[in-house]
Amino acid sequence: MNTSKYDAFSKRHPLVNFLFFIGAIGCGVVIQHPAYLIAGVMGGGTYYLLLNGKKGWKMILGMLPMFVILTVINPLLNAYGVTVLFHLFGRPYTLEALMYGAAIAGVFVVMLLWFGCYNAVLTSDKFTSLFGNLIPALSLLLVMVLRMIPNFIRKAKQIIGARKSIGKGAGDESTTKEKVNDGMTVLSALTDWALEGSVITGDSMRARGYGTAKRTSFQIYRMTAMDWTLMGMIVTLLFVVIACGANGSMTATFTPDLYIAPITGLNTLGFIAYCAFLLIPTALHIKEAIQWHISRSKI
Amino acid sequence: MKKSNIATLIVLFALIPATLYFGTILPGRSYYFTGTLIVIELLIPFFMAFEGRKPQARELVTIAVMCALAVAARAAIPIPNFKAIFAVIMISGIAFGAETGFLVGAISAFASNFFYGQGPYTPWQMLGYGVAGLIAGFSFAKKRLPRKPLVMAVFGFISVVLIVGPVLDTSSVFLTLPAISWGTAWPLYISGFSVNVSQGICTFLVLLLLGKPLLEKLDRLKVKYGMMEAHDDGV
Repeated sequence: MNTSKYDAFSKRHPLVNFLFFIGAIGCGVVIQHPAYLIAGVMGGGTYYLLLNGKKGWKMILGMLPMFVILTVINPLLNAYGVTVLFHLFGRPYTLEALMYGAAIAGVFVVMLLWFGCYNAVLTSDKFTSLFGNLIPALSLLLVMVLRMIPNFIRKAKQIIGARKSIGKGAGDESTTKEKVNDGMTVLSALTDWALEGSVITGDSMRARGYGTAKRTSFQIYRMTAMDWTLMGMIVTLLFVVIACGANGSMTATFTPDLYIAPITGLNTLGFIAYCAFLLIPTALHIKEAIQWHISRSKI
Repeated sequence: MKKSNIATLIVLFALIPATLYFGTILPGRSYYFTGTLIVIELLIPFFMAFEGRKPQARELVTIAVMCALAVAARAAIPIPNFKAIFAVIMISGIAFGAETGFLVGAISAFASNFFYGQGPYTPWQMLGYGVAGLIAGFSFAKKRLPRKPLVMAVFGFISVVLIVGPVLDTSSVFLTLPAISWGTAWPLYISGFSVNVSQGICTFLVLLLLGKPLLEKLDRLKVKYGMMEAHDDGV
């Protein structure tokens, strides 16, 4: 995730990031219109590649077989539709059901892509800073858990190592029974050590005045003019998309009859708004890259 | 009435019916969207109860330790689909009550996904893992079930295979199936069954071998420092 350090959208306020992903994932789940799905795959895929570089291609190519499998399976489960392609096990295999399968698989791929971007952009520190004021106890809990997990895994490895050095513990050639038994001993030792530490941490927090007054939280992120602009764009575009959706401009039903709303007239507006919305992070990334290139070439 | 109780009532009698109604007027296939919204709404009352309680430092740290242990337990046993996470969550529920058990489950699901990747399954995992802690806490409170290793182990196996596993499988059913009926859904539940059984066996073994000693450690902590007294009704 080194590349995300240079991503312009990741540097924006977490609220902007969060709102964008809520919109992108929410729309991605609900809309099955083929044109919107293609827009979703293009938008999500481009941003995913910008974030992950060459590694991203591997993941995207890995989604292809999944897409194909989900597509061809649907007509086996769903025999509705009028255009029968052929009969399989005495059941009709219809074109409509196949297209429906492709749409469902498309929704799945769009969602995986946006979640991939979400994981790179909205890191745990951003999440807790976003919700620190709203749910203070839970955010603190989450921060502590996230800090303890690597700590405990390290300690578990130390315990395993210490046991190995005195000739105990399971290796690669151990039986499952030995592995399980050894795991139990390690887990037990780890629990003892961790609980011991928890009481000390808790008392230390109390001694420093935890719970005596309302906790304030330090905010490292500030909403800048740029963030407000982006937020305005996100909200406006989403509003247009939802309004057009309510108007039926992205309706697509596949079975029993195929109906896909044409992208003409007023329906174009919704589609353009959706595309513009999905391109926000990519556009920001490219804009920053160009600016950087220009300012560097001036030197 | 407590704030969290009011929130529970609002969620159960206003928010969820509203979501269901909204889901039926949404175009196309909105099972996943509606289902996930309801799952998130179910999580809210538990989180509000925890915030409203203003937890003490010791309680907070102990819950954090149980969550982190549940996640780190993945590293202790190097066999795939054979993780002690459910056992640790259930032990927390048994030791500290149903509400804490739910919290440990939900938070450890969420926190572990920061390492393994958040996805469309995250809210479902939080609910499923939380329910594991909740039912364990409820069933063993007030000596409803004896805290014997074998009883805990069998209880753990049954609840993982019959309750927690199917909750997780439902998220993949909602996510990948176009039309949901028993006829189309059973292959997914069957394919998830083997994973659930494997997790169930792991939970069984950990609770059988470690349940008692771990509980003793936690109970000792509870008595010694007088923290996290479970409410009388166990909820």
